[in-house]
Amino acid sequence: MTPLLEIKNLTVGIAGKEILKDLNLSIAAGEIHAIMGPNAAGKSTLAAVLTGRPDYQVFSGSIIYKGRNLLEMKPEERAWAGIFMSFQYPIEIPGVSITALMKAAVNAKLKAASKDELTPGEFLKLMKEKMALLKMRSDFAKREVNVGFSGGEKKRSEIFQMAMLDPTLSILDETDSGLDVDALKIVANGVNTLRSNEKSTLIITHYKRLLELIKPDVVHVLRDGRIIATGGFEIVNKIENEGYDSINE
Amino acid sequence: MNKLYIAGIDEIPRRVTLEDNDELHLTIVCPPGYSGDINFRIDLLRPGVKLDMAGLSFCALGERQTFNVQVHHKVGGAVSRQLFKSIVGEKGRANFNGLIYVAPDAGKTKAYQESHSLLLSEGAVSESHPELEIYTDDVECSHGSTVGYLNADERFYMQSRGIPEEEAVRLQILSFLSPVLSRLPEEKRKALINRL
Repeated sequence: MTPLLEIKNLTVGIAGKEILKDLNLSIAAGEIHAIMGPNAAGKSTLAAVLTGRPDYQVFSGSIIYKGRNLLEMKPEERAWAGIFMSFQYPIEIPGVSITALMKAAVNAKLKAASKDELTPGEFLKLMKEKMALLKMRSDFAKREVNVGFSGGEKKRSEIFQMAMLDPTLSILDETDSGLDVDALKIVANGVNTLRSNEKSTLIITHYKRLLELIKPDVVHVLRDGRIIATGGFEIVNKIENEGYDSINE
Repeated sequence: MNKLYIAGIDEIPRRVTLEDNDELHLTIVCPPGYSGDINFRIDLLRPGVKLDMAGLSFCALGERQTFNVQVHHKVGGAVSRQLFKSIVGEKGRANFNGLIYVAPDAGKTKAYQESHSLLLSEGAVSESHPELEIYTDDVECSHGSTVGYLNADERFYMQSRGIPEEEAVRLQILSFLSPVLSRLPEEKRKALINRL
């Protein structure tokens, strides 16, 4: 079967400097993959290039998603095709409410699929349902995007947005960083609730704790821009006990 | 008292005085398509009077708009607040010249002025000249002025949620203008937004 996402020999950099080097990664529909690695391994660069952040340069290689050349698609086109990233550092947008952001996003995705926009009633119902899933306070919908949010609220808000947009490939870029135990459980529950045989998730993390709550099918170790090991949960345990230096190619 | 003037439509007085217990909530909009100067002077003549003034310049389509605003605190104990915002596109120009004058003996004056410009392209120009003429010590005065481009991180964040680039820019402009737009009645606000 064709994988949902296939990255081949990808070399990517920023400001002329190579960060990902000849990277290969294949994710099938329904799978959860985890990418672990020390700081500066290139984990966030991988997330950035998958979502189309403009400041990264692709030197060589290809990314095929749902049979399409992902690198030719604009960030919004990638979102319409079902790619979503939970930002490591969610951006504050003063003056734009969560409701305004989500209404524009949900309706743009429907429009791209030549479907009717949601009625105000349908939209409100969807907001309420997903806010309940992520245990958001009732005033959340009116708040300005990420403005004055605590670290935990920002991450929960990211997963809330993920639930609203119902993506096919979700990328969680260090979503667990800065979360307390309770927030971590809420986030993991949100992600697990959205799981299905058609949907895939790529979890980027330093730590074992989120992976104990969202069990990955495949674990990769990224170091110096290359995947140096691929396996199952035993890799997570090894890193937790012996550190990244214990993982060899 | 609430006053709203739209340049090119409403007659804008050149001079206004605030006396007795006047509290003036004033908004001046230079709409898209308007080019010209707005010359406006306000004198605060009694302690306790309050001025809350805001202005909007739309120069997104090459318009050239200038605000020349003078606020004169003739006596102490009065308060003035000014907030001016402009969006400027290719070949457009938004100027703001703002004088705050505080007379000798006008102690306990509070006067605040802010002007912010959002440039939509590299060929856009905005100049801000705040001027403070303060002849007494016992005052609380401040002015702030910024000129900047749209934030690329905000735009990418919205695009990554599926919001097309053009719509993301529109949302950014609206969020920038919202502190002044929110002062307009619903109907006039919608009419302006639709022209963006």
